[in-house]
Amino acid sequence: MNKLRRSLLLLLLVLAWALAPLLLSRHLIDLFVFAGLFTIGGLGVGLLLGQCGIVNLAQALFYGIGAYSSAYVTVQLGLPSLTGFLAGMLASALIAIAVGWPVLRLTGFFLALATLALSLIGNVLFFEWDWLTGGTLGIGGIPKLSIFGFAFDTPERVYYLVWPIAILVLLLADNLVRGRPGLAMRAMRDAAPAAEVLGVDMHRLKTAMFVICAMLGSLAGSLFAHYVSYISVQSFTVERSIAFLLIPVVAGSASVWGIIAGALFVTFIPELLSGFGDIHQVLFGLALVLVVTLLPDGLIGGADRLAQLLKRRMA
Amino acid sequence: MALQACRSLIALAPTALLSLYPLPALAQTTASREPIKLGAVISATGAIAGVGLPEREGILLAQKTLNARGGVNGQPIEILIEDDASSPDVAVSKVNALVHSHKVKALIGTSGIAQTVAVGGITAPLKLTQIAFSGLGPAVERERTCVFHITPSQELNARALLSYVRDMKASKVGVLHDSGYGQVVWNSMKDLAGEFGVTWSQVEKFEIAATDLTTQAAKVRASAPEAVIVISTSPMPFRNARQVRLTAPIISVHGTATYDYVKAMGDAADNIIHAEFLIAEDPLPHQREFVDLFQKEHGRLPKHFEAAGWDAVMSLAQALKTAGPDAANEALCSAMRRPYQGVMAKFDFSAPDMGGLTLASFNYSKLVKGKFTRLDYSAAK
Amino acid sequence: MSASLVMQAILSGITNGFVYALIGIGLAVIFKGTQIINAMQGEFAVIGAMVTVFALEPAGLPYGLSILLGVISGAAAGVIIDRLFVQPMMRQRAGEESFLLLTIGLAVTLSAAVLYLAGRNSYLLPSWGEEGVIEILDAFLQIQALWLIGTAIIVVVGLRLFYGRTLLGLSMMAASMDPDGAATNGINVRRMRSLTFLLGGTIGAIAGILVAPLVAVNYHMGIALTLKGFAAAILGGLSNPLGAVLGGVTLGLLESLAVVGFPSGYKDVIALAMMIVIMIVMPNGLLGRVGRIGG
Repeated sequence: MNKLRRSLLLLLLVLAWALAPLLLSRHLIDLFVFAGLFTIGGLGVGLLLGQCGIVNLAQALFYGIGAYSSAYVTVQLGLPSLTGFLAGMLASALIAIAVGWPVLRLTGFFLALATLALSLIGNVLFFEWDWLTGGTLGIGGIPKLSIFGFAFDTPERVYYLVWPIAILVLLLADNLVRGRPGLAMRAMRDAAPAAEVLGVDMHRLKTAMFVICAMLGSLAGSLFAHYVSYISVQSFTVERSIAFLLIPVVAGSASVWGIIAGALFVTFIPELLSGFGDIHQVLFGLALVLVVTLLPDGLIGGADRLAQLLKRRMA
Repeated sequence: MALQACRSLIALAPTALLSLYPLPALAQTTASREPIKLGAVISATGAIAGVGLPEREGILLAQKTLNARGGVNGQPIEILIEDDASSPDVAVSKVNALVHSHKVKALIGTSGIAQTVAVGGITAPLKLTQIAFSGLGPAVERERTCVFHITPSQELNARALLSYVRDMKASKVGVLHDSGYGQVVWNSMKDLAGEFGVTWSQVEKFEIAATDLTTQAAKVRASAPEAVIVISTSPMPFRNARQVRLTAPIISVHGTATYDYVKAMGDAADNIIHAEFLIAEDPLPHQREFVDLFQKEHGRLPKHFEAAGWDAVMSLAQALKTAGPDAANEALCSAMRRPYQGVMAKFDFSAPDMGGLTLASFNYSKLVKGKFTRLDYSAAK
Repeated sequence: MSASLVMQAILSGITNGFVYALIGIGLAVIFKGTQIINAMQGEFAVIGAMVTVFALEPAGLPYGLSILLGVISGAAAGVIIDRLFVQPMMRQRAGEESFLLLTIGLAVTLSAAVLYLAGRNSYLLPSWGEEGVIEILDAFLQIQALWLIGTAIIVVVGLRLFYGRTLLGLSMMAASMDPDGAATNGINVRRMRSLTFLLGGTIGAIAGILVAPLVAVNYHMGIALTLKGFAAAILGGLSNPLGAVLGGVTLGLLESLAVVGFPSGYKDVIALAMMIVIMIVMPNGLLGRVGRIGG
């Protein structure tokens, strides 16, 4: 595709994005906000999966840490919301280092299982430490985000806040992946002995990526807390971790921008399916299984193959 | 980069297009006049489906009965029922759709405290009437004067249990509670020990999904309690308690007083006292009509969760009759705020806890060999 | 902390341990045969138990026949999963994480399907033989638990003999360790994989049927069982059924004794943390290298 056409397409996309809140119902905008949050959180998991080949089922833990940090800091301590964001990301980073350093020595299934165990431990602690998290009753009254007095108190406003942040982190991630760290990660994933010989400190790289993933999860969690104003343990379960993992799987793990597609899938498909009545959860599971089975490269891979097929037909 | 973004969107295009046309959920109408649209969000799937499904049955039966009797002053009601899959996030999403896209006049639901508080953030600012199947929870709910509560608060549950314990002249009490709902009730209960003249002989906690509590039950037994309070959403503590020969009477919160639990308790469903509301084998006069209707419709007896669903619809219908079907949100909310004699209990929605249940509202039952029998005991003192 | 309390903890720890062990054995068998971690092993147990429950009550069949149907449904589920999903993915040379995600997706689907078909209730099966408990030192053990322990031991011994002595068993191991080499020796690798899933499904169903008289089974239980089974299998070296028993019993005892000592809300946290530590410190499980090669 030549440069002009590409730029034009990009412009159209941006226009569509910008105009969406004016055309769509509030309910759909709400879903798009969630899709934005999941893009941020899912990106972290996607980087670990796509670039490092690591299955991370602990993202709900860091999502929760970000949410609870923001909630606790603004509601109990009365400090400005930026403090909450920073506290959350700091706590997540520290925990990611402390836990990641030993755990990332594991590989494959064992690592996946360890991260799942982390998610569960996190869930139990969120329940138990109700002096911090409010337990089942949760923490309410979280103030909406405001910057210089401009309050983000409607879904439309949060939409215009969340997506630029999502695009920003996607850009940074894309940069990372195309640069030397990305090369090092892929070397580590595809030919570990060679990478080691070339002096790639694999363990440090893995831990660094785990920390980045945790911080992205925390960022998404903090934004979530300020958006919904009330959080409770039920939002930070193993199911949430699985949902975060689904995002890069559905998208096609190696794609950075494809995370958007994965996040949209995870947000909108359950909504679509709920029209079918009580069987909707079964259908969602089946849809997931079908994507994994039929589209090993995810939706992006599938779209790619379709594009190539069409190109061949037309040539 | 733009290419990749394009590809993302092409892959999602069909999905996005379809999502612009939200599929309508379950609905029913009988008559010809424009129906009054109401919304309902319950948990039909997920962890608390055990509570949400009976609530839905009650709601549907009430809708059917009400419309057959002419609806609200001749106008039928149409209840759009959604499932929040036991998740507060989904509940928020569904309520947004019901309130902003479908413009429902009032909301029935949700089935759990977390969901109720979460969606209260949407209904309260609009003063939209919400009738919740959860008890009054965190402090923020006190300001939400249009969110009504059909089930008791945790503190009231705790007092109902302790009243019985005191009046059965037991003073050493063991406690088995789970880390979710049980923890909340326990937090309200632990400081009431002095007021009711009891001491805690042993308190054991367990995870919600735990499948074996024999050790915890044994620890409680070892403290030789005269009565044991169990607060759980699982049948396991009852079974394990009896397995370790814990023979003291067990007193429990209404959540486990359903036929499903009785079946799952097996032969442990004996000598268990519940502070509950509807003993269908021996209903109070004002409950008889509902019990008969339900039995005719479903071929089995209802419990209080079905009755709660029924009461939510019927009390709302009454308020609609008073305020008129086109009433503004505040007017409908004011019309709700009065005493209401429901099937489950006598409510007073004008009370500060938006429910008005008291100790006198409870009916006590005893499980005798798997059958609920009415206890001639009232806690109003 | 009295002797009877500790005894109770030991007895309930052993009972639970064998439940975890049975799930873990199924996981070990499937891993041994296909190198796949089956995140839906707990669902096989739920399927087996549910089919038995519904064969017994609404359909009114005798208990023995109901159990047989339950076991067959577990086996059938295993084969269907293999034929419908695993084989196509194998052909596409899908990666490890894809299989893990497949089984997770299937676990979620099956759990939702059980809710949809069987409802939200928890179901108990009648005990085998007499109801009741044995009393040891003022602590109690269900008689059903003895059946469970006995069956688990029989299964482990049976598997040992099967893999070690029979041609079929050896072929299955060969097909897993070196598919190409096995194929050149005339072993139908695909059929071996199907048989592995059949075996895994059967063992899973048996676990569910044995547990259901002790613990009421519901649509929710699958994932929790799978996790505990995982822990058991990993402690045992992952492809060693006997190891899974050791791992399961260790886990069960750890949990129960933790409850005696610590506030019981942290039971799962302690067990999971121990599992992580053991994975890191003893990667071949408690049995060392023998565990991983195992049989």
